[in-house]
Amino acid sequence: MKQIPVILDGDPGHDDAIAWVLANSSPKLKILACTSVCGNQTIEKTTYNALRIMALINLKVPFAMGRPRPLVGDPIVAPNVHGQTGLDGPKLPEPAIVPLSIGSVELIAKIIEESDEPVTIISTGPLTNVGAFLLLYPHLKPRIARISMMGGGISTGNWTPAAEFNILVDPEAADIVFRSGVPIIMSGLDVTLKALVFPEDFERIRTLKNPVAIVVAEWLDFFYNFHRKLGYAGAPVHDAVAVTALIHPEILSSKDLFVQVETTGDYCRGMTIADRLGVLGQRANAKVITGINRKAFVDVLIKAASNYGKDNNG
Amino acid sequence: MDRIPIILDCDTGVDDAIAIMLINKIKKFDLKCITTVAGNVEVEKTTRNTLRVLQLIDAGVPVYKGADRPMFRKQITAEEVHGHDGLGGIDLPLSSYDVKNLPAWDAIYQEAVRCDGSLEIITIGPLTNLGMVFTKYCNFKNLIKRIVVMGGSATSGNVTPAAEFNIYADPEAADIVFNSGVPVFMCGLDVTNQAYYTAQELEKLGKIGNQPAKFFRDVLQGVLSYSLQFGCPGVSLHDPMTVLYAADDSIFETHHVWIRVETKGQLTIGKTVTDFSSDKKYPNNAYIVTNLQRDAFQEHVYTLMSEYS
Repeated sequence: MKQIPVILDGDPGHDDAIAWVLANSSPKLKILACTSVCGNQTIEKTTYNALRIMALINLKVPFAMGRPRPLVGDPIVAPNVHGQTGLDGPKLPEPAIVPLSIGSVELIAKIIEESDEPVTIISTGPLTNVGAFLLLYPHLKPRIARISMMGGGISTGNWTPAAEFNILVDPEAADIVFRSGVPIIMSGLDVTLKALVFPEDFERIRTLKNPVAIVVAEWLDFFYNFHRKLGYAGAPVHDAVAVTALIHPEILSSKDLFVQVETTGDYCRGMTIADRLGVLGQRANAKVITGINRKAFVDVLIKAASNYGKDNNG
Repeated sequence: MDRIPIILDCDTGVDDAIAIMLINKIKKFDLKCITTVAGNVEVEKTTRNTLRVLQLIDAGVPVYKGADRPMFRKQITAEEVHGHDGLGGIDLPLSSYDVKNLPAWDAIYQEAVRCDGSLEIITIGPLTNLGMVFTKYCNFKNLIKRIVVMGGSATSGNVTPAAEFNIYADPEAADIVFNSGVPVFMCGLDVTNQAYYTAQELEKLGKIGNQPAKFFRDVLQGVLSYSLQFGCPGVSLHDPMTVLYAADDSIFETHHVWIRVETKGQLTIGKTVTDFSSDKKYPNNAYIVTNLQRDAFQEHVYTLMSEYS
């Protein structure tokens, strides 16, 4: 099978972690590198978490740390969602590798330059690294196959009524991405709020009994504990949808739309605006995922977790 | 039954014209007056159009002229939708220019005082007049029961991807209204685009045969072709639907939510920002209408229009 070469860029984070577990277990993807970005927690913490996840799933690829701040604004972190470490819950192995001496943007450029074929970027955090890369290496744009990102929402926000967290943290970076012309698959709240994993699903994962599955179940326990208090029926595993969009697009539905990012405003900074009625007459720049077969999604996650019981590498 | 004292604030406008014809036949309403505002076309035209429609249906409702421009911005109009004259080129006679000599905001306030807390206001144009009342009279918020607004959208706009015309035309006035403390019921594009008439359905309505029904059919033809061009199934009756919602909400779905108006964003000026499901759960200040039963809506319209002779 021909594999899709990908770079994983995220701010782990419980749902980033599950997204990486999913990506690493899929024979359809070839992970070329991982990078961290500040978002759910500070860059030190998301970097440490990224390395611990990589150790857990035995993922040994080049890794570089992102910048400590969004491109323009101040960092926003989400300890209420992910805990003080950014990945509270189960005990994890210590990092098995150290970050490269180059930064995340340089690593992304190096990987893309060296790849024989266009590379897909899976972004599950703020788009700081991706935006900076597009800004600094515009000539490499054609070498990006697509950006599959979790962020935004064309009907609602979560961190504010209008804005989803990842876009709100770095709207300027997101703006660069949506204006870039690179094909975008946007898994925003429109779909990810439906990507719910219910407590009974956690148990199906836990009973797989392999070390990765047990950790995934405990991440879900922690993640759901926050969302339950907000009235969610399950844990919305937002970031895993951005991976699912590449490996199981058949369980998703989507609309091709022209999407822009608001970077100003009293209430709307960080909002992704889709021109659904076509008033601007612009060509679509994003495939906006809007629907998901929830049960099939849970099965995809369970299959991924079960793969870790078979060998070391998923 | 005690009738509900009501004021209709409008920028007539083709679908405003229909809203006026309908509200005139809603027995539950005691229509105190109509106030006009700049919007679809200039206020002089929206006022004359209002008088023309009232003459057509032989209704002696007092008309007060309101704001000729938004509170803080330059006026925008929608002539491409409503025609140069605002009534899609339909020639309705006007025999006397009978407009009361009092600005709309003072008329609204005085009526609110007289009604002693029971007045309801329906706005189907930009919210400038209400913005002016709230600005001039600090106790106004305690004098009215609710405001039913045609405007805004929780999902997507029609002037810009984010904003609907009535709110975009005067976003500051709109935010004053949403932030006033008075319960605001928002009939935005989320629901009003469901209140559409296809060409066939319009023909059927016209066949009622009275002059107002024929005018109903004819005045919408321009907007109908404009809407079909944009891929809509028919012409949306934004304003008439809002009037019917104010009269009877039983065929609609309404949610209690937080709504404020963006007045600064580069791409989002005039967006009615709605907190449907954010983690912040801002305190509810408004009601959003999200769904309607289209058949029942059309039936209601048909019944009201049949009452004209």
